[in-house]
Amino acid sequence: MRLEMGTFPVTDIALGRTTRYDAGRLTVDREAVLAAVRQDPRIATAELEIARPGESVRIWPVRDVIEPRVKVEGPGVCYPGICGRDIATVGKGRTHRLTGMGVVEVSSVNWHDAGGDYVETYLDMSGPYGEMYPYRKLVNLCLVVEPDATLSEEVKNYAVHKAALTVSDQLGEAVRALTPPEREVFELTPVDPALPRVVYIWCVHSPQAMSGSPTAFCTATYGLTQLTPPWYLHPNEILDGALTGPYRTAFAMSWTVANNPLLSDLYRRHGRDWNFLGVISLRTEWTTQTEKQLMANQTAKLAQQLGAQGAVVTWDAGGNEFIEVVRSIQACERLGIKTVFLTSEDDATDGAPTMLEPLPEADAIVSTSFFKNVTLAVPEAPAVARVIGLPTKTVRRGSTVGLHGGADAALPTSGPLPPPWRYDDHYGFNSLSCIE
Amino acid sequence: MGIPVGMISAIYNFALTTGANRVIRGARIEHVCGDPTLSPEKDYAFGMRIVTTALQTLTIAVPGPTLFDPMAPGKAEEAAHAS
Repeated sequence: MRLEMGTFPVTDIALGRTTRYDAGRLTVDREAVLAAVRQDPRIATAELEIARPGESVRIWPVRDVIEPRVKVEGPGVCYPGICGRDIATVGKGRTHRLTGMGVVEVSSVNWHDAGGDYVETYLDMSGPYGEMYPYRKLVNLCLVVEPDATLSEEVKNYAVHKAALTVSDQLGEAVRALTPPEREVFELTPVDPALPRVVYIWCVHSPQAMSGSPTAFCTATYGLTQLTPPWYLHPNEILDGALTGPYRTAFAMSWTVANNPLLSDLYRRHGRDWNFLGVISLRTEWTTQTEKQLMANQTAKLAQQLGAQGAVVTWDAGGNEFIEVVRSIQACERLGIKTVFLTSEDDATDGAPTMLEPLPEADAIVSTSFFKNVTLAVPEAPAVARVIGLPTKTVRRGSTVGLHGGADAALPTSGPLPPPWRYDDHYGFNSLSCIE
Repeated sequence: MGIPVGMISAIYNFALTTGANRVIRGARIEHVCGDPTLSPEKDYAFGMRIVTTALQTLTIAVPGPTLFDPMAPGKAEEAAHAS
């Protein structure tokens, strides 16, 4: 499976008469793009706004950030399966992408209406809070979109995400026929058999148990979000967006998944430092002990069948999902597969363990942060000059409550705001460090 | 001494590793003491079995974290040690 990735770096975005890319400058035909979005009768309102790095701008609520990618040669479409898109297997041929920018999905639509999961993320384009996120460095084209209020929550989710993907597709079309300024070939070529064989075990949340629906919206594998046994994915499939769509955490966005630095490094050092075998993608939040252990056993079995000697493990969730993740690590180690685990840590106050089930086999751990901004002592984000999105934000200080969770106060979005309760840098984008 | 505690949990090894003495195996995270796929009568009986087992465990002395499985017929009093 060979994929050529053509990269078109974006340094600025402007609104104009035609959508075109020229030497880093992306011009967007606002009316044409919005007309494409409004073709979907489920969309009630849609508007485009631009946010640039360093501006005193706050974007709220941020559901997703998408890097525009378009399939130029080879089967399928980028970001396959989700929102009814083609499910042909991707990863072959040529893909063009617009880097240095994001399409930001700004909408009041919540993940589902079963409670517990709330849209919480806002994005500052300047200031200390913004610095904690990679999206702050992007030129962001924000689609502020609301669906028909009479639709069900699940349909609303698919409608607004499809709208954001429509914007992404429109921009991608502008570079389809152009010669990319940068090219890189991705292929798992045969390598020196003496190199250690390494697999990436990439755990992604399933909203099925929390929402009660096997089709609830979340980070999707070819559109599927339900609880499924582990998948084997070629890394090229992920570069083409086979794993895509946001989840409730700020680092589980389409952009972050497509640009996962761990995947990039595992891939680029293939043949030099190790033999990268590909990705086992494990769905998490199984709801019995037996199911959790079964997924762990099957993940380790699959890794062994692939010939893995080492596995790097990440997850994008919290709470009980730790069980299937850490037990996958244990099961791998027991089969002789060495593991490294990237994770945020739980709050260690009141004597609680920083890992829910600390197993002795999980003995090589890279801490990427604490889960809670309060533990990290992240200060309040200062007032901003301009808001993209909703004018007020529901806040209950020191709690987990967000847009939909009930409130002590609806604060002006433009004013000083506490950071969202949660911070977990699943894939190691940031370089936060601490002194013990 | 103190007050004996029985903890019903679907993900029972959490309870065991965090030191709960009497851990009773529940159904699922979403419905720890029930099963919506059963008829109302059977669901009630299923829930009663779990809760009754939990209450019975309060009378049983245990040396440390111990798992009880209400679905193992007649086995509530035969504790399976976790570790």
